[in-house]
Amino acid sequence: MIRRVGVIGAGVMGAGIAAHVANAGVPVVLLDIVPGAASRAVETMLKAEPAPFMHPRRARLVEAGDLDADIGKLADCDWIIEAIIERPDAKRALYARLEAVRQDGSIVSSNTSTIPLAALTGGLPARFAADFLVTHFFNPPRYMRLLEVVAGATTRPEAAAAIRDFADHALGKTVIDCADSPGFIANRIGTLWIAAAIRHAVDLSLTVEEADAVAGRPFGVPSTGIFGLMDLVGIDITPHVAHSLFVSLPPGDAYRDVYRDEPIITRLIAEGRTGRKAKGGFYSMRRKGDGREKLSLDLVTGEYRSRRKPALDSLDAHGSDLRALAEHPDRGGRYARAVLLDTLSYAASLVPAIAGTVDAVDTAMRLGYAWKWGPFELIDRVGAAWLAEALRAAGRPVPGLLARVGGRKFYRLHDGKLQAFAPDGEYRDVARPEGVLLLEDIKRDGKPLARNASASLWDIGDGVACLEFHTKSNAFDPLVMAMLGRAVALGTEGRIRALVVHNEGRNFSVGANLGLALFAANIAAWGEIEGLVEAGQKAFRAVRAAPFPVVGAPSGMALGAGCELLLHCDAVQAHAETYMGLVEAGVGLIPAWGGCASLLARFAADKRAPKGPMPPVARAFEMIATAQVSKSAAEAQEMGLLRANDGITANRDRLLADAKARALALVEGYAPPEPVTLRLPGPAGRAALALAVQGFVGSGRATPHDVVVSDRLAETLTGGATDPIDATPLDRIYDLERHAFMALLRQPATLARIEHMLETGKPLRN
Amino acid sequence: MPSYTAPLRDMQFALYEMSDTAALRALPGCDDLSPDAIDPVLEAAGVFCAEMLFPLNRSGDEEGCRFENGVVHTPKGFPEAYRAFCDGGWTALGCDPAYGGQGLPHSIGLLVQEMICSSNLSFGMYPGLGHGAYAALHRHGTQELRNLYLPKLVSGEWAGTMCLTEPQSGTDLGLIRTRAEPVGDGSYRVTGTKIFISGGEHDLTGNILHLVLAKLPDAPSGTRGISLFLVPKFLPADDGRPGARNAVACGAIEHKMGIKASSTCVMNFDGAQGWLVGEPNRGLSAMFTMMNEARLGVAIQGLGLAEVSYQNAVAYARERLQGRAPGGAHGKGPADPILAHPDVRRMLLTMRAMAEGCRVLGVWTALQQDIATRHPDPARRQEADDFVALLTPVVKALFTDMGWESTATGMQVLGGHGYIREWGMEQYVRDARIAQIYEGTNGIQALDLVGRKMSVHAGRYLRRFFHPLLAFIEAHEGNAALAEFVQPLAKAFSRLQQCTAELARRGLADPTEAAAGATDYLRLFGLTALAWVWARAAEVALPHAPTDAFYRAKVATARFYMQKILPQTGALTSSILAGGGALRQFEDAAF
Repeated sequence: MIRRVGVIGAGVMGAGIAAHVANAGVPVVLLDIVPGAASRAVETMLKAEPAPFMHPRRARLVEAGDLDADIGKLADCDWIIEAIIERPDAKRALYARLEAVRQDGSIVSSNTSTIPLAALTGGLPARFAADFLVTHFFNPPRYMRLLEVVAGATTRPEAAAAIRDFADHALGKTVIDCADSPGFIANRIGTLWIAAAIRHAVDLSLTVEEADAVAGRPFGVPSTGIFGLMDLVGIDITPHVAHSLFVSLPPGDAYRDVYRDEPIITRLIAEGRTGRKAKGGFYSMRRKGDGREKLSLDLVTGEYRSRRKPALDSLDAHGSDLRALAEHPDRGGRYARAVLLDTLSYAASLVPAIAGTVDAVDTAMRLGYAWKWGPFELIDRVGAAWLAEALRAAGRPVPGLLARVGGRKFYRLHDGKLQAFAPDGEYRDVARPEGVLLLEDIKRDGKPLARNASASLWDIGDGVACLEFHTKSNAFDPLVMAMLGRAVALGTEGRIRALVVHNEGRNFSVGANLGLALFAANIAAWGEIEGLVEAGQKAFRAVRAAPFPVVGAPSGMALGAGCELLLHCDAVQAHAETYMGLVEAGVGLIPAWGGCASLLARFAADKRAPKGPMPPVARAFEMIATAQVSKSAAEAQEMGLLRANDGITANRDRLLADAKARALALVEGYAPPEPVTLRLPGPAGRAALALAVQGFVGSGRATPHDVVVSDRLAETLTGGATDPIDATPLDRIYDLERHAFMALLRQPATLARIEHMLETGKPLRN
Repeated sequence: MPSYTAPLRDMQFALYEMSDTAALRALPGCDDLSPDAIDPVLEAAGVFCAEMLFPLNRSGDEEGCRFENGVVHTPKGFPEAYRAFCDGGWTALGCDPAYGGQGLPHSIGLLVQEMICSSNLSFGMYPGLGHGAYAALHRHGTQELRNLYLPKLVSGEWAGTMCLTEPQSGTDLGLIRTRAEPVGDGSYRVTGTKIFISGGEHDLTGNILHLVLAKLPDAPSGTRGISLFLVPKFLPADDGRPGARNAVACGAIEHKMGIKASSTCVMNFDGAQGWLVGEPNRGLSAMFTMMNEARLGVAIQGLGLAEVSYQNAVAYARERLQGRAPGGAHGKGPADPILAHPDVRRMLLTMRAMAEGCRVLGVWTALQQDIATRHPDPARRQEADDFVALLTPVVKALFTDMGWESTATGMQVLGGHGYIREWGMEQYVRDARIAQIYEGTNGIQALDLVGRKMSVHAGRYLRRFFHPLLAFIEAHEGNAALAEFVQPLAKAFSRLQQCTAELARRGLADPTEAAAGATDYLRLFGLTALAWVWARAAEVALPHAPTDAFYRAKVATARFYMQKILPQTGALTSSILAGGGALRQFEDAAF
């Protein structure tokens, strides 16, 4: 059991790890060699974006101290994580000091990113070697789901098991076991990929925009590409990592040939142009008139120029077909081919040296570098035989694993199970940790109970069905609503016992399909739009009234309609990284699929809240009018978007299983909630809220259109023309919110907000 | 012999009574544009066109252009008329005062253009192209190029061309092969062959400025690798007069169906010296910025020819006595004027309703262009620009299709005489035909509408048309007197909404579906727009109708449009909703 954790080194990684341990509700001691540094790091983290803490209160679980004065505080820690400078001698010296204070059975790990474990335990007692392992977190520790674990030959199996278990269940990490080799998995492949991408861009005279466009999306790499990524992590890091790897990599490793000290990078570092932290690197900004002009670095002259859209025939023709792209004769095609051959052949040459399975490598790259496909999945996409032939044609060696797989693929389906090609030439099932239930595995195994173009219904066993959205960004459209209706019908007929609403997209749902709504509004199809609003209200209310339990299981963003659906569920089991909010005001609207009604009902039912008709109205008003979004599931709970008894799961892979268990627990004796009536303040309440909004206008925090939207919201939440002595049925709020929505949608300022959001992803403050 | 009188009263109606002249006068530099200021311009233009240009129309058609030893001779009287045209200041009408122009808004210039097109379309091509070159240089040229060339274009002393098309590259400009090599002194050597170049060579001006699309040596393929160059026929000497002859020459002129007095040239560029206009590889987008204006200009050609054809058809129908009209004698003659025959009335009213309706729609569009270029508030400019972007393909295709249909109908009214050259009616048919083809074929206009204008910014352009139109309908919902106009409009509008939503939905899944319905959709859109015009015209005219025949005719024409033309929207809707299957499924080999 890990009940208390120590972290030494309050740099970005150490402090971030400490914060994330606190996020799991576990007390943590954070020490730094520099006096005061640890407490300063906690202060800094409380202001940082993206926030390392899931809730500011979690910071209270972090006890900051100075290493020399407070090393004794590590005595009762079950796990001590070292995250100090990347120097083996310094680390070993620290370990020797730890041996004097730490309790028997406690575990020590290093967060080193490049140093092999064997180099760290030398000269230390056997007790230490048995309790020691490498746990390599990725930056930022809260958000990056990968944890690379290296257990040495001398590491106690129980120690490694305890850390894996804690990292998985409490910290929500996907643990990948790595061989004790330099850079482990993700950085080993990732640094070669970066070096190759920079080198070939320079050699083939690509602009940074072209390189990022070719090596980004077509490869399934985040759209920052290479140069954007370098700006993000800091350009000055590259030479450090390279030289540290040079020390430990085996002779003849391909990285030694691919990496080159680029004069342009040397110059950028010398001039302090190290990326976003320094206000400029490969990309930059410059004031121009009222706005800002986006600039890019000319890789030849080292000067900035206006950013240009890449103009490459290869990219236009084959932006979504990596193989065709890599076969195109223009610069873009040759670049894609060069980066592809270097990176994929390197990955293929490293299994089993760095990891036992290809799926471990793929998972590490997906979670550690946010690639959409790992290298072996990429090889399957371009074809292993094609890649081998391309390597031969270039006069390069074909890695053994690639030769062995021949004309086959690294992944295949066998009896509905995913199998991966193992180094011994056999296909083996891709292993899932105990208790992990993944929709992707269920989907592989069979046919849905029901399906349309936007949503599907899957049997996840024990009479429980899972409703999955699969629209773009999991936006709601009429077909999603239709599938909700279908699920309710199946449950009503007794063909399913409970329903979980869940998907494995990046976001649970970003809300309604704004593009469709805007188009319909632009052609003034008001009747059609009102029909859609009504259909959505009907579908969500049917979920609430269904004679069986419905559990929402969100991860990522659950905004607008996504949040509204969750408010209609009997219970929610949320991933810790759930960002909930009714954000309609940002686009000049108010929630109209029952968001206003449900939130009001929930706040009115809150026993701890002050009595009277106004407090729940004011609370819902503030939340919706300012489009508040929780920065974690924990915060959503505090905001009231999740109930106190809704569950939170740290590990995304365990979310569906937890949600299913929760749904099954509700089945016995289930009765749908009773209809709700409310006492609402009516016009007097609306006037009071208008007064409050005027205050915000005065201080410049509310725009003219905010006033319009807020007033419609106030009218809805206060019950319209109702009198506080009358009981208002909740149905009335559904009607009010629908009418307000339709009125707001006719406003040009609202349409301008929607369009701006669709095109820039940012709210328009008009 | 045909005749032409500028329809000044109807132009005044379109401009002063049907359009938001308050918005026009609110624009900077337009505050003194009262009817008292505008009317003299329109009247003078009417006189010039009727007396100077119209008499050269038939002779120019008969004589055509002559090509001898690399020189093009325009028909007799053209050079003199061109000089008078320049002396009258007509080339400078819509140009920037900084370069000698008169700065008149487009919404007024458009009506002058209509008169020129009615009286002599071939002649109008020459100053029209000069204005195109002016617009390109004014918007995209360096200050040096502007100072050097714009005053000459504004005065009409020099003419211009637009050199886009090549033998292998028409609609698809990505295929052009003309090259431009930098010389090192800031100029370029342009080499290649351009075809279908209107006004490429002629004897009207001392110099001709060619705006040429060409590719730089390292240009990307396709439309993103096209640059725009200015290549003068004569390089200007230090004193600003035409100097050394540039290496550009006319190789031949085309023999065409119509606009025979307008020279259509093959132009050979043989290392001709040229200067970049706008940014490298951005030539096509530079051209696009002028396209709305150019396309509206071609639309007006259709309108102008429809108007003159209508005038002559009416004159003939009044005079020509044939048979007895059903329902009794009209007068004492041996037969009734054919004007009395229902089918002739149908033809004439169709021509009238379309021409008058298009005139208003043209002014509305041009007024939005004026707002888009002159309004101080960027938001208002944007809205107006959206409207123009949306309506441009509709107006271009609708007006030019209408021009062709109307001139053919006008010929029909004259019966056998319509087919005889001396009556002049068949020339209008031949002249009108090209307008459906050039400046983007009408099929391309339809694709532009459904493929681009409908979808950009999630349909924002549509809002500028749909919202005010719905507001008009809603504002008159309870108006019993207007019901016979507003109800059919509302019905057409809901058809347009339905087809818009349906094409957008199907087009998302399968772009060929949207393309298959594009031409029908554009027509549906255009007819709905004209229904708006006619409902509004009825609203304006009704109060004056009891006492004034002009307004009575407006109301009657509006009624005709609603009852006899607008119902086509039902058929178009059926065709659109039937989808593109019937087009797709036919086997290629069976054609």
